[in-house]
Amino acid sequence: MSAAVESGILLEHLFRRQAGRIVGRLARLLGPARLDLAEEAAQEAMLRALQTWPHQGVPENAEAWLLRVAHNAAIDAIRRDRVAGEKKEAIVAELTRSATINPSDPDFEEQLRDDELRMIFMCCHPEIPRDSRIALSLKAVGGFGVREIARAFLADDQTIAQRLVRAKRQILTRHLTLDMPRGPELRGRLDAVMEVIYFMFNEGYAAHEGEDLIRQDLCLEALRLGRLIAATSIAAPRVHALVALMALQAARLPARVDEAGDLILLEDQDRGRWDQQLIALGFHHFDRSMAGDEVSEYHAQAAIAATHARARAPNPQSVDWPCVLDLYDQLLEISGSPIVALNRAVVVGKVHGPGEALSVVDSLAVDPKLRQYYLFLAVRGHLLLQLNRRVEAADCFGRALQGRCSEPERRFLRRKLDECSTGSLRP
Amino acid sequence: MPQYMLLLYDDPSTWRSISPEEMQKAVEKYVAWSKKPFTLDGKRLAEDPGRVVRSHGNQPRATDGPYSETKEVLGGYYTIEAANYDEAVQRTFDHPHLEYGGTIEVRQLFEE
Repeated sequence: MSAAVESGILLEHLFRRQAGRIVGRLARLLGPARLDLAEEAAQEAMLRALQTWPHQGVPENAEAWLLRVAHNAAIDAIRRDRVAGEKKEAIVAELTRSATINPSDPDFEEQLRDDELRMIFMCCHPEIPRDSRIALSLKAVGGFGVREIARAFLADDQTIAQRLVRAKRQILTRHLTLDMPRGPELRGRLDAVMEVIYFMFNEGYAAHEGEDLIRQDLCLEALRLGRLIAATSIAAPRVHALVALMALQAARLPARVDEAGDLILLEDQDRGRWDQQLIALGFHHFDRSMAGDEVSEYHAQAAIAATHARARAPNPQSVDWPCVLDLYDQLLEISGSPIVALNRAVVVGKVHGPGEALSVVDSLAVDPKLRQYYLFLAVRGHLLLQLNRRVEAADCFGRALQGRCSEPERRFLRRKLDECSTGSLRP
Repeated sequence: MPQYMLLLYDDPSTWRSISPEEMQKAVEKYVAWSKKPFTLDGKRLAEDPGRVVRSHGNQPRATDGPYSETKEVLGGYYTIEAANYDEAVQRTFDHPHLEYGGTIEVRQLFEE
């Protein structure tokens, strides 16, 4: 008996991962219209584990055990279901066959990955409302619970549950299938999938309380899904760019907050705490994103993250800021996003000084929404403070504090506000 | 040493809305408790109402179990060793069953 089995401590996130795979497999066999049934079978398998493992011990291959029990639960449910006789027998036969496959067979592993891939592509079908896509992906592919999704998105359980209901209704009424789209449809769908993955990542990456690990899980799930697609033949260079970008940014997660849960800015981070494995993974995909001449938003973002990752020395001056500025110019051209423009202004400050950066920021203030945005105010305050215009800086930080931001961000802004009235000035 | 029976009651529907991640945590806690050195034996009961047999005028008759009307059902049991009731009760205090809203009944086994 292995040490893990002996101690009863399971592999981290084993149930969550396995729930996603079970749902993918069963939905493939049962048809996506019975997604609920697939989810219930997964839940049933885990409940059985809770009931039997404490008394009989954890089985040697817990994943295979859960998969088999879920298959059996699905067979029972289909037998009770009011499906037409012939069809019922066919489904039961398929389930029975699938339940007896040796789980260590590499072909089966490949099939499970294929099931997951099809599932995420269905979750991002254009018939499914945009805000439902991400919730459904996390639930059906990631094995997240409703409450966990709600917590990660700072939404209430009811909102998330409704999004899931809407998504499932569309699957049913629009007769969505798990067939992979082809030709021009594939390109569009791939973009929709990437959008969901990138959104998932950003949501997880947004500054948060250090103890709320659920958001870090979101980043890692996004990275996992990106890698899943990157490993298939449909992986366009921009998929590798997205994976590179996520890996290089996720590498900084351990260095981003201090022990008190306070934010540490990129330039002050201890680079020794960056995850070297993720950096290596990021560069691997970054290289592969260079195949072909496609340049996407993800390419520019990945290139910026790579420039930061290359600056190994603890000295923040070692970052090649003029290069980062070039990349931001490209990114701005592709995306045109006001947030990108704001980030670019920060880099202008690094290259040409706070005075020039401030005039860039002020030129952006024509956008009334951006003008009220707390990060806009924070950046403006930061530049004013560097120019020693303390009263105006304090005004900016004060107004930024009225915006909706996380607790660590709030503490950071308060510190900056204090700096405006004390003598200590940071370079 | 005296032996005690721990009867674990719970409402099975509490587990329906729990996420896989939380389910795994629960499994790990239950498994860990079951490995305690004073635990002699334990079994999970099948999830059905069971049967109750009574005699009606010399005629034994079985009906559905006593729990069909109530939410909390007897789901399993352990036999543990303890010096006395106090210690037996004390030993249940960190059982995860309580954390997940269940009830534990403690009964001493009769000894000659």
